[in-house]
Amino acid sequence: MFDWLRRFLLLDEAAGRRGGAALELPWMHRWHHVPKRSAGPDFRREDYRRARENAREVARATLGERLWTRVQLQGYLDVPSRRFPGLTYRLRIGRRIEVRCAPGVESPWPFAYLCINPTYPLPEEEFFAQLYLYVRDREDEVIRVAAPQPWDQMLGRTF
Amino acid sequence: MARLIVANRRGHQVVEWDPTVDTRESRAAIEEAERIIRDARRRGCAVSRKVGDTHVLDDRPFDPHVEEYQILAPIAGG
Repeated sequence: MFDWLRRFLLLDEAAGRRGGAALELPWMHRWHHVPKRSAGPDFRREDYRRARENAREVARATLGERLWTRVQLQGYLDVPSRRFPGLTYRLRIGRRIEVRCAPGVESPWPFAYLCINPTYPLPEEEFFAQLYLYVRDREDEVIRVAAPQPWDQMLGRTF
Repeated sequence: MARLIVANRRGHQVVEWDPTVDTRESRAAIEEAERIIRDARRRGCAVSRKVGDTHVLDDRPFDPHVEEYQILAPIAGG
């Protein structure tokens, strides 16, 4: 009982350090009811503005200054495949991955775009940085879940 | 200060702690961060740690002396 109370009070202190906002752990919730390109019905215009601002800050910290500058300048990041020689994943903010092959190299997928979303809503710059880490460090997971698509499109679970 | 970044629809929220001091608040924050990382991994999230000025995906056990962790959303096709 006292242990529970102590934990509760300390968590409350932690919330205070976060500016009073309770820590939201998205993997603990269901998001199927949230429409595409939305953060949920409780989000207002100011919430979106603040979320995108926060996301930009953390995406920059995740990628590091060199990669962040590059994506700002050219609008994409290319990640060479370690699994398929001659194949490159082109990552663009908020859009499907474009699969690009060197001359003479055949793609393992029937289409040029791979649709991969986060399982819960995220600002698109934040997910872009996360997707970069997945493609670079965990390509097999990307290959396992990727849904090949014939056309380019915005992602549904980012906003 | 070390920190755990929880990426969510609000952009992100953080849990911070100072691994060099032994206070009630610091111990509680470390416990909280370790618990969050453990639960997130169990539910399919990936975890990255800061190395140099960038992040790398990381499967190692929680270490309170790591400068920065981040929790990444699980990914799905379609």
